[in-house]
Amino acid sequence: MAEMVKLFVNGQEVEVESGKNLIDALEVVGIEIPHFCYHPALGADGNCRMCLVGIEDGRPPLVPACKTPVAEGLKVQLDTDKIKKIQRDVMELELINHPTDCPVCDQAGECKLQDYYMSYDHQATRMRVPQVLKGKKLDFGCGVIHDQERCVLCARCVRFTRQITKTGELGIINRSDEARVTLFPGRPLNNRYALNVVDLCPVGAMTSKDFRFKQRAWFLKRNKGICHGCSMGCNIFIDHNREKYKDDLIYRFRPRFNPEVNGYFICDKGRMSYHQENEGRLKSARIDHEDSPLVQALQTARRRIEASDKVLLLVSPNCSLEQMLAIRSLATEKGATISGYSDGCIQTGDADGYLIQDDKSANRAGLELLQIDTTYDFFKESLQRADTLVCFNNDLFFTDPDPVVAEKLKVLQTIAISTHETPFSRQAGIAIPAASYSEYAGSVINKDGVLQYFGRAVEKNVPAPEMISIARDLGATLTEPEALLHAMKRCIPALAAAESDQIPERGLKLTLSEAAHVTA
Amino acid sequence: MEVKILSAKFDIKDAHTLAVAKEHGAYATLDAVFAMEPAAVIDQVKNSGLRGRGGAGFPAGLKWSFLPKGLNKPVYLAVNSDESEPATFKDRYILTRDPHMLIEGIIICCYAIGCHTAYIYIRGEYTTQVKALQKAIDEAYAAGYLGDDVAGKGFQLDVTVHRGAGAYVCGEETALLESVEGRKGQPRSKPPFPAVSGLYGCPTIINNVQTIASLPFIMQNGAEAYKAYGTEKSPGTHLFGISGHVAKPGLYELPLGLPLMDVINKVAGGVWKERKLKAVIPGGSSTPVLTPEEAETTTLDYESMAAHKTMFGSGGIVVLDETVDMVQLVKNLIDFYHHESCGQCTPCREGLGWMLKIVKQLLRGEGTMADIDLLVELCDNIEMKTVCVLSAACTMPVRSYLNKFRHEFVAYASDRPQGIDMNQDKD
Amino acid sequence: MSDRSQLIFTGKPFQYDAERDAEFERLVKRYPTRESMILPALWLTQEQEGWIPAEAIAYIADRIGTFASQVYEAATFYTMYHLHPMGRNHICICRTLSCWLRGKQEIVDYLRDEIGLKPGQVSEDGKFSLEEVECLGHCGSAPVVQVNGEFHENMDVDKLKSLLAGLK
Repeated sequence: MAEMVKLFVNGQEVEVESGKNLIDALEVVGIEIPHFCYHPALGADGNCRMCLVGIEDGRPPLVPACKTPVAEGLKVQLDTDKIKKIQRDVMELELINHPTDCPVCDQAGECKLQDYYMSYDHQATRMRVPQVLKGKKLDFGCGVIHDQERCVLCARCVRFTRQITKTGELGIINRSDEARVTLFPGRPLNNRYALNVVDLCPVGAMTSKDFRFKQRAWFLKRNKGICHGCSMGCNIFIDHNREKYKDDLIYRFRPRFNPEVNGYFICDKGRMSYHQENEGRLKSARIDHEDSPLVQALQTARRRIEASDKVLLLVSPNCSLEQMLAIRSLATEKGATISGYSDGCIQTGDADGYLIQDDKSANRAGLELLQIDTTYDFFKESLQRADTLVCFNNDLFFTDPDPVVAEKLKVLQTIAISTHETPFSRQAGIAIPAASYSEYAGSVINKDGVLQYFGRAVEKNVPAPEMISIARDLGATLTEPEALLHAMKRCIPALAAAESDQIPERGLKLTLSEAAHVTA
Repeated sequence: MEVKILSAKFDIKDAHTLAVAKEHGAYATLDAVFAMEPAAVIDQVKNSGLRGRGGAGFPAGLKWSFLPKGLNKPVYLAVNSDESEPATFKDRYILTRDPHMLIEGIIICCYAIGCHTAYIYIRGEYTTQVKALQKAIDEAYAAGYLGDDVAGKGFQLDVTVHRGAGAYVCGEETALLESVEGRKGQPRSKPPFPAVSGLYGCPTIINNVQTIASLPFIMQNGAEAYKAYGTEKSPGTHLFGISGHVAKPGLYELPLGLPLMDVINKVAGGVWKERKLKAVIPGGSSTPVLTPEEAETTTLDYESMAAHKTMFGSGGIVVLDETVDMVQLVKNLIDFYHHESCGQCTPCREGLGWMLKIVKQLLRGEGTMADIDLLVELCDNIEMKTVCVLSAACTMPVRSYLNKFRHEFVAYASDRPQGIDMNQDKD
Repeated sequence: MSDRSQLIFTGKPFQYDAERDAEFERLVKRYPTRESMILPALWLTQEQEGWIPAEAIAYIADRIGTFASQVYEAATFYTMYHLHPMGRNHICICRTLSCWLRGKQEIVDYLRDEIGLKPGQVSEDGKFSLEEVECLGHCGSAPVVQVNGEFHENMDVDKLKSLLAGLK
């Protein structure tokens, strides 16, 4: 627990964490200090002047809150006429050269200029002279579009490329009110995190080519999720909407702050992976390549499994811990072999030492926790012996299959439970669509052993069944939420010891000994 | 009234060369200085009462004493030769006519503060001056006054000239540091002050050329000799630049404390062309203007300037005769500060451009009385809300013109009250 | 200031000549960080070429080991760096306070009316370019005109005429 200090805000005593600046410390206790340029990941720059606050008896009496650490007994003034006037004046100056094109601006609804105008300004414009004109819809690369006229020159984007990605593509050139964010010609944004500048931008100056003009921000529903793009398990917001007469669709992923996992950012690939949640999905069940009602496909699958002697269940490292438990109970029930082999998810050399990992699956650590074998040798050996392969969203065609495996797959009875249409689902004897991770709730363990929970975000008009219910329909016994939680607690002492049944917001860090302390 | 302390060698032929400078006493103080403890040098400078001659007038010795002790980091000296404040041209004389006085001052300062690397930041426009300075530095190196063993005293000191490239704001000390570090000259927030964390994150002293150049005299003749000039609180001499509408514009070294009008009339030959005096800008373009009545009671020192709600500034006096259109002048002023705004802080970046456009609109006859009030209000809204004082350097004088010569602005307003003529002040 | 974002690519690779190369290497030792070489490196370029082509900005960034955007920032922030070719004779007229008070406009008007040269322009024959600049620090001898780096004080139209006549 950090040391606390007492200070006064508008005469009221508040207790806040020491070591923080006024903006961050007071935010925790629900006091907003308006600011554009400060961002906790990028540090204080002090250029916007929106966070100026009064310090009673202070020298100087007026300070930028972003650069002012909390201190015992500090008397901070936020509600004096002087401070209110400064906030109004700075807002006026921010807006005089701003195009105020909110009706066509993607940022509208989540724009600091709009919010602060309503909270701190709220006066008619006095600007009666021509505005400064600058560049519009500049393609900065990596799907980032820039509008220099909307920009408030807070330099967050510039600092991001210099401090975080260390690629430094962006700069602010010129000076005076001709200053503008730009690129050196011919050296566009070229890093794997570029789209974070769209989130960082407090106004509508940085927009995503992918998201532009697709949705108004206020129509979007925001759910908390975990990116399944790799084993980092970055925390995201899943922004989705069901337009009239249409299906519930995801329009964007945005990073969600978690200091234990991804901090403030996510990679562009993960961000854009929402497309895969909307597109390429396995839409209907098939039996022997003919469309079939779901119920019938499930019944047929169950019969075929029951009729088999040697069933091999192949589970994906992208499945949630709950799904893995349910599928494992199916294996136990049927005396089936279970494998988590999925080499195709690993792209050796792709990791960058920051967020991006080689392993493109979200829960390989879960397989390991449940002692589900992930080796190729075990898989191949099991496959040779098997007469039926039930594949839970694990695509064998990620990598070229071994000729022996390929040959076996041709003669084997196959059942694909799949979120997406894949080469394997197309070839499978029975194909059953399943809900993908934005459509169910569950838990995953990232590469650092952080157990994280995510809720259900998207509700399709015709929801695909959750993999746990599919497992139940195929004969699994461990499928009820309470039973699954109980099973998880048996595997994870830290979870059992936790006061609440809920996995904490920022995840639960499993120690090595906990991970090793696994009960079969 | 003129004295010859800093300007002693200005009129000596070839005094910029080491040989001639030495004949006239250059580097003569070094034996005595190196025989002293550095702290004693600082004390002597403190006792002289020397105040920074860049504009702010901060006591030089006191500034040096802010350096933290016992830090395991190098200490830097940055000599501010950016001299860009309109109406200021004093350092240029030192750079070209007596550069060795500056180099000697640098040696004294560096010895006192324990600095082995000094940078002279010279404005890019000083093309011929930078060459003259570099030549003098090369001579000083060749003669052993700079380098690994300064004057045979076992003290190492390197001096490098760093050229600016056209940015007034780099005269602000932290903008200057940014510029040396290869960035845009955008001032840093303080704290930390440069004495604690300056150039390359190390303790740094930044002094104006004239301040540093005053050191040889102080060390040669003692603090009391320096204090014999000027007033009690503003001791010493200053290189006053007098420009504008006077008969004899130019640079004059004067003790502080002389009556402003005496200097204008007796030293600079009075208002030119037998015209009437309209106003005086006392210390560079960023200082509030004085009316003739105010100028009558003003003396050339920090205290009198403050009492008249203006500033000593850089000592650049500009005389305005009766023909000057104050609205045009304000346009010229705002144009300058807007052009030079580094673009960092919102109020200065956006506000000065707005003010300029409002004044231009007024001059076109399209402005209104409300615009004049808006100008006054914008001065208040912008001033002191920014990292540095560039915006205040604009709004403080502009406000003074708006207050003291408001009728001239009103005369341009399209909705001016009846009876006010645009040319009422002109014959 | 006006917008200085437009760079010109010559289509030719840039590099320092031997003299500038040596000067670069001499200067880089004077600073504890290579970034400090950004301004000196831009000056060396301008000395060599008369202006700063886009290729030179990239060259400087790569040679120093910094971002091109940072060199671009400096090149556009500091107004003495020419981002376009100038005339053979570059004329700077101080437009600020003291020079304004003492008649700089007559000189500007003369150049406009008699030579057809306006501030910000290069003459068609490439002989002259004109720039109105901020205070040149010669207020006591105003108005001042700087031609190819040399200062000409107490300037008036007659003096300017003879000055121009002497230029090639």
